[in-house]
Amino acid sequence: MTELSVSTTAAGHVPQVPLPEAPPKVTVRNLNFYYGEHHALKNINLTLGTNRVTAFIGPSGCGKSTLLRIFNRMYDLYPGQRATGQLMLDQTNILDPKLDLNLLRARVGMVFQKPTPFPMTIYENIAFGIRLYEKISKSEMDDRVEKALRGGALWNEVKDKLNASGLSLSGGQQQRLCIARTVAVRPEVILFDEPCSALDPISTAKVEELIQELSEDYTIAIVTHNMQQAARVSDKTAFMYLGELIEFDDTNKIFTSPSDRRTQDYITGRFG
Amino acid sequence: MAVQSDVMEAAGPYDRAKALSAFKLGDLTFYWITRVSAISVLLILGGIILSLIVGAWPAMKEYGFAFLWTQRWAPSADPPVLGALGPIYGTLITSIIAMLIAIPVGIGIAVFLTELCPQVLRRPIGIAIELLAGIPSIIYGMWGFFVLGPFLANTFQPFMIRIFEGVPVLGAVFAGPPSYLSLFNAALILAIMVLPFITAISVDVFKTVPPVLKEAAYGMGCTTWEVVRSVVIPYTRVGVIGGVMLALGRALGETMAVTFIIGNSFRISSSIFAPGTTISAAIASEFAESDGLHQSGLILLGLLLFVLTFFVLAGARLMLMRLEKKAGK
Repeated sequence: MTELSVSTTAAGHVPQVPLPEAPPKVTVRNLNFYYGEHHALKNINLTLGTNRVTAFIGPSGCGKSTLLRIFNRMYDLYPGQRATGQLMLDQTNILDPKLDLNLLRARVGMVFQKPTPFPMTIYENIAFGIRLYEKISKSEMDDRVEKALRGGALWNEVKDKLNASGLSLSGGQQQRLCIARTVAVRPEVILFDEPCSALDPISTAKVEELIQELSEDYTIAIVTHNMQQAARVSDKTAFMYLGELIEFDDTNKIFTSPSDRRTQDYITGRFG
Repeated sequence: MAVQSDVMEAAGPYDRAKALSAFKLGDLTFYWITRVSAISVLLILGGIILSLIVGAWPAMKEYGFAFLWTQRWAPSADPPVLGALGPIYGTLITSIIAMLIAIPVGIGIAVFLTELCPQVLRRPIGIAIELLAGIPSIIYGMWGFFVLGPFLANTFQPFMIRIFEGVPVLGAVFAGPPSYLSLFNAALILAIMVLPFITAISVDVFKTVPPVLKEAAYGMGCTTWEVVRSVVIPYTRVGVIGGVMLALGRALGETMAVTFIIGNSFRISSSIFAPGTTISAAIASEFAESDGLHQSGLILLGLLLFVLTFFVLAGARLMLMRLEKKAGK
């Protein structure tokens, strides 16, 4: 991972010229998902490009969060939920029942809607994840924690209180701590499930800026209810409705000249 | 609408001020009833402490602080020699062993029920735990006396004695001969009795962990064990320790079951397979036929149990505060 520096890209940038097609990192083929009897996702086909930001938009209940939770098999925690089809992370079949979920989740990190700092110190919040996978000395750990906190654009705010509880931070700081914690494990893909919906505008801007920076090193999927946010941060956008993928294209195209009527209606606020 | 206003008029104008003054009286009465109830708790507690001190006074005057470290208990000697060391030792040892067994098992059951258990097993096990809490202690006493005691004396005790024979320290702790009535049997019964407290409270507080927090930990690639150890238990620490304290309080004071199976011996033995006694068992078994200094000594024992429980609970609270500070709260 290269050291990230703050403010290389301004939040609010929309790539005017579509980026060249990136090699696929995650490939979804004919994916179906069921909550018990309820058919929640219908025949989804799409790819997440390597080091690209893909946004998922759509009205509540359209299945975008559900889709995100398949990428790291989070649905496995709950009985009665199952997925069929093909879902590849590089050469790994994510849906393989014999797949080691712990290793999968090290490769596919997730940031949630609400900040979820663990009940431990700021330092431990970061070190905890690293320790799951690596045995390193105290000084190396200090370096890694600092690097992760810098990566989460949080270092300057917390460097003097690393031993304070993660719960003592503000909501925006907690969310960046969670991002730093996810980054610390060095995943390949990071999933953001409405990461800013509980944050104020300033914290939101910081997190968006961070997502842009992270896309230099990671493949990112973000679910958002905020269409401006999708337009600001993503390279590709997927519009979902009632469990179906309606349209998947360059963000620019989706927001300027969508090819499906329903996409048009949604982004102009006619429903949703 | 029109009908309603007609009715209102027929009943005369509504006097809000009068209604309010009636409420005021009700409020005042209610305030005093609740206040008196709350104060009566303090009065009862104070009254119990006071009557214990008054009852124990002759023994305190006679034996002084030596009561605490005298092992001999000879109420029929002339003058009676009374020392509380045996019961204090027995109380502490049985409670400690009981907690050593009940805490891991109780929390383990709670983890299983909340994190791992298939849905169909969840209710039966939960109900069984609750029933365990509902069994009267005398039943535990009889079961311990007729079933568990002989069973342990024939199987577990000889086994442990054989294994640790000749090992320094542990050899003395697990020394023979096996006995139907012993500190260990009492501790095991206590562990079974307090288990439901620990489990029920742990299950309740484990359920308060936000699912998203657990998902976040699983999302990092944690195993269930790592999630429980690093997220669920730290998050619910205060509640779990509360449950453990409740259990400890019960273990320290539990009387009937222990009196049945502990053997009521005031001699202190290094072996946990030897008979012993606890403060409450000593009082229960001797109080009815005691008088004079002997009775006063037993009341003093009761006062000691009171103080002991207070200190244990205060110590636990202190430990909790330390833990919170360490977690950086």
